[in-house]
Amino acid sequence: MIQVSIRNIGKKLLIWIVLIIFAIWTVFPLIWAVATSFKTMTESYTLSIIPYLQFKPSWYAWNEIWGRMFGRVSKSLINSIVVAGLSSLFVLALGCLAGYALSRFVFEKWKNKDIATWILSLRMFPPVVVLIPIFLMMRTLYLLDTWRAIILVHMLYNLPLAVWLMMDFFNEIPEDIEESALIDGCSRFGAFVRISIPLSSSGLVAVYILSFIFSWSEFLFAVSLSYNKAITFPAMIAGALSVKGLDFARVSALTLLAITPPMILAVLMSKYLIRGLTFGAVKG
Amino acid sequence: MRRTVYSVKFLGKWFFILPAIIFFIGMVVFPMIWSLSLSFYNWKAATGGAKVFIGLKNFYTILAKDVRFWGDLRFTLFYVGMTVLIELLLGLGLASLLNKKIPFRNFFRVIYLLPMTAPPIAVAFLWRMFLQPDVGIINQLLHKISLPAIKWTTDVSVAPWALVIVDIWEWTPFMFLGLLAALQSLPQEIYDAAAVDGASPLQAFVYVTIPMIMPIIVTLVLLRAIDAFKLFELVFGITGGGPGGSTESLSYYIYTSGLSYFDIGYSCALSWVFLIIVLFIAIFVLRLLRKEV
Repeated sequence: MIQVSIRNIGKKLLIWIVLIIFAIWTVFPLIWAVATSFKTMTESYTLSIIPYLQFKPSWYAWNEIWGRMFGRVSKSLINSIVVAGLSSLFVLALGCLAGYALSRFVFEKWKNKDIATWILSLRMFPPVVVLIPIFLMMRTLYLLDTWRAIILVHMLYNLPLAVWLMMDFFNEIPEDIEESALIDGCSRFGAFVRISIPLSSSGLVAVYILSFIFSWSEFLFAVSLSYNKAITFPAMIAGALSVKGLDFARVSALTLLAITPPMILAVLMSKYLIRGLTFGAVKG
Repeated sequence: MRRTVYSVKFLGKWFFILPAIIFFIGMVVFPMIWSLSLSFYNWKAATGGAKVFIGLKNFYTILAKDVRFWGDLRFTLFYVGMTVLIELLLGLGLASLLNKKIPFRNFFRVIYLLPMTAPPIAVAFLWRMFLQPDVGIINQLLHKISLPAIKWTTDVSVAPWALVIVDIWEWTPFMFLGLLAALQSLPQEIYDAAAVDGASPLQAFVYVTIPMIMPIIVTLVLLRAIDAFKLFELVFGITGGGPGGSTESLSYYIYTSGLSYFDIGYSCALSWVFLIIVLFIAIFVLRLLRKEV
């Protein structure tokens, strides 16, 4: 008996050790960045992470951002919020309709499976493949460096996932409910608006937040299609930081500003994140 | 399978699906056809040169003469292979080790989710500070335990590994959480049955667990591989493709040749070659996920 319980304790201890080592490896860079954003420039090149004990906290980096860089930072933050907010809204509308169609209706000639596969394949291929033609397209339409261009591209980026996930969510709603509504004289569109949408509201929120996160983080198109007026936050920090001689305090502060919004959203919906990232294949 | 209520004849269904399809035709199908047609031209927009039709010459140059393309392809394949393999092994190890009742489960899940929610370009700048050869944090740590400094971003043989390490930091939790979800969905009875039949825990893992979670493993591996192929931000933010082009990914090559040198025709041809390479991998993923529709 005693042997067994010792083995049990050993196992529990092992689990704790592995969990904690993995957690430290994962969060150490982030914690170090938080600490470093409150250091002076000279102190920023040190390992220390405990304020007051190891280093004297300073507002240097944040003052820099809220002072000298305020114009650029605030403009790009607003751009990022507008682009992510609007593009996710459009993605949600189109994705909801298409996902519902693929879940509920039969497309004889094209086959639902083929449409769904085609849409998913659009998420799989590397976006850089359409970068050049889309750049030329936006230039021809005089849309370079506008919100509209980036919103369109981010919709392209997120719509396949939205369609796929919404299809998944609608499949989980039993058809009987809509069926009885139809029998009671509700139109098909009415059944969609009054019954399916409210029933899948948690799915809608998940899809909106996921595409907000991805749009916020998207970099390749943002840096290619915007340079001044419509520049998004990630593209702005890349421009501000790609000079020689890194000022670690300032880099940390800017990086944290970019990381925090998607991180908060992701934590709020951590249940759906793995599901979203695997196109519904893993329901963790 | 579907009930009669959702009849085939209901024409309103087109109202639901067409907006998305029209959007994709405008934003993907049209640009890709345009890109294909441009790939037959020599069009160096930076020098104001005219478009000259040269047939398949761009493709010939890429496949037969472009050393940079083959080097970038080799690095990209190395990166995809190494990151996916190491993340899978680490993820599988961690998931099977922690496939118990985890204390503070939600707390740890949130912690592990953090890296993959950060914008990749922010991850790149974060790690640039760690990998910096002179004042970088990792080299300071190495110095503390009196190990020699490593030229993370300036040594041709180390720089590719530096990017692999960053990817492992960012995406191992994805493998781990996905595999853990798969393991925890398995019923306890199969292990009891295996134990009754006299299987050791290791045998049970190899002959029972692995085959049962194989579909999930394949899905996760292919999703990761496809994603790793798109590698761009880490190259942009950490190494800029250097030293000596040793960490330049295909995405980065297409980006620079198209939007820095404005060699439009050539970069469109490069895009198509890249697309065909990725297509081979995507076909496997699609076959797999298709069963779930």
